[in-house]
Amino acid sequence: MSKKIREILGEDAEVAFAERRYAVISEILPKVLKGAKPLTRSDMLDKALLNKYLGIPIFLALWWALFRFTFDVSAPFSDLIDMFFSWLGETTSGVIANEQIASFLSDGIFGGLGGVLVFLPPIFFLFLGLAILEDSGYLARAAFVADRIMYKLGLHGKSFIPMLIGFGCNIPGIMATRTIDREEDRILTILVNPLMSCSARLPVYILVSRAVLGGYYTAGVYSMYILGIALAVLMALLFRRVIPYFKGKPSPFILELPMYAKPTLRNTLIHMWERGVLFLKKAGTIIFLGIIVVWLLSSYPWNAVHVEDKFLLENSYLAMFGKTIEPIFRPLGFNWMGAVALFFGFIAKEIVVGTFATLFGLQAEGPEEVIPALKSSGIFTPLTGLAFMAFTLIYLPCIATVGVIYRETNSWKWTLFTVIYELILAYVVAMAIVWIGGLLGYA
Amino acid sequence: MAIRVAVIGNPNVGKTLIFNNLTGGKAHVGNWPGKTVEKKEGKCVHKGVEMKIIDLPGTYSLTANSIDELVARNYIVEEKPDVVIDIVDSSNLERNLYLTLQLLELEANIVIALNKFDIARDLGYEIDVNELSKLLGIPVVPTVATTKEGMEELKDAVLKAAREKRKKRKIEVSYGKKFDELILKIQRAIENDEELSKKYPTRWLAIKVLEADEEVLKIIDRSPCKHEIVNQLLEMKG
Repeated sequence: MSKKIREILGEDAEVAFAERRYAVISEILPKVLKGAKPLTRSDMLDKALLNKYLGIPIFLALWWALFRFTFDVSAPFSDLIDMFFSWLGETTSGVIANEQIASFLSDGIFGGLGGVLVFLPPIFFLFLGLAILEDSGYLARAAFVADRIMYKLGLHGKSFIPMLIGFGCNIPGIMATRTIDREEDRILTILVNPLMSCSARLPVYILVSRAVLGGYYTAGVYSMYILGIALAVLMALLFRRVIPYFKGKPSPFILELPMYAKPTLRNTLIHMWERGVLFLKKAGTIIFLGIIVVWLLSSYPWNAVHVEDKFLLENSYLAMFGKTIEPIFRPLGFNWMGAVALFFGFIAKEIVVGTFATLFGLQAEGPEEVIPALKSSGIFTPLTGLAFMAFTLIYLPCIATVGVIYRETNSWKWTLFTVIYELILAYVVAMAIVWIGGLLGYA
Repeated sequence: MAIRVAVIGNPNVGKTLIFNNLTGGKAHVGNWPGKTVEKKEGKCVHKGVEMKIIDLPGTYSLTANSIDELVARNYIVEEKPDVVIDIVDSSNLERNLYLTLQLLELEANIVIALNKFDIARDLGYEIDVNELSKLLGIPVVPTVATTKEGMEELKDAVLKAAREKRKKRKIEVSYGKKFDELILKIQRAIENDEELSKKYPTRWLAIKVLEADEEVLKIIDRSPCKHEIVNQLLEMKG
């Protein structure tokens, strides 16, 4: 019955009825509301920030400012952490006689973990900036501005907040979809949420783009975020069109805009800490374990890898494994090191960086600064570096996110679907970057 | 017998404050049967008359899209409280009146509390309370929940409304000629089912059928009038 009536009527009646009710209200209002409402400061700000044409450019500009702020301010802090771990690594390898333990501590633990922890400052500053935008009331406006476009594209307006949260981490982003009423809208939002570039991918972007993009490095990182948003919207649009389950228009939504407020230092810091500390916890657990595995695989069989005074990474288990999967990635221009980094990145994307840190540290006999090492290794050209970043952005969300997708959709079908479509999409996009760049004459 | 009064309103209009003002803060808190939505009940004695006050979930509208909205609307449709206090944010009439119009369609016996009246004044609004009451055909009382202003007047208005029972409401939203005719036809079809039309406001049912409201369609599905309705719709479609 319900289906039949929906078929006959479409969704036109519901929207038409709502419009009529508002029309009646706007007939009543002038008769009872005397004295025009003066513009408050909040209204004036909204006039500009929510403007049909200015809204999106302002959003993009603020986002850009956020990134510049994040990177410029955090750079010296990162250098300090880097120096600290290098010193720690050198000192340990100097004191400990057993070379296996020394290598484990200096290259594995201090090199690998240090390589990841240098990204603590940018992550904290990104969250600081986000907290300021949120506490000031702007983030809700960003949702409003985006809704106009998203609704036209077939995404639910309420999807935007989970998407924004996804910039921090996809897990709370996916959980935040619970506020979406219709199951179809909700699942659609879950499927595209991993395309929002979470903070775990930020270290990979920073590492690669600083190594190969030179002066364009902020732009490189920024472009990944924009690429993520664009792909999420495109995919949502595609799924809505192609998959029968998602057919139909999203239900309209009402969003209450909070008053603008001056963010308080205390609240902002608390917000920043609550989110940033998750990264620290992850570094101490899953990333730590992942790095140990990478060190083990790249240092053994010990006697084959350590011949006389030379370190022959090529003979390690990791290289053997990497070379088996390398052909898959060869069209994208990644060598076996890139391939294994991506493979272990499935556990947590920070491990991509940890893997590089461990590998370079081992070859240099002691921890080395990862960015210059990656640069001089010549693994990536600017073009393949960009493709690598895009691949990192898109492919498989980390294992914890896959778990949450299963829990929230309660379906292996949708979980598997997400994993597979993202693998394919990552491959296609990375390939497109290499190919189009090649056509334009870049290497 | 105690008068049953339900309190409803958009989120953030001061509903909880008014509920506390009316009940003196003493409330029995439980859950709506089978739902995870909180249900609060309290008592208020005014001029020797006992009122049982029920706090409904804060909602912007009364569709079947969320549990909160369903809980609120089912209570009004099925339990038929004697009076419904609709708390309206004076500084945001446009959005808040949307709920009011839907309550009118539900044929609830409404009293409007124009809350945050002070804030509206500070913002430079001047609201003609009498005119609003006249246009909507329901009593309107300005209130400031934070300072308890207007609470006595609100209770008076509730008592009066309960005594007078529901009058024929003034305002009926017209949905345009095409839809109005269709609504009327469906309404007629529903009226053939006596049980249904005794239990629910028929015009509301008809509107909700056209809005393809899942819950209402379930109700219609069980009624013999459903074939007539489908025929009417097909006829309209041509």
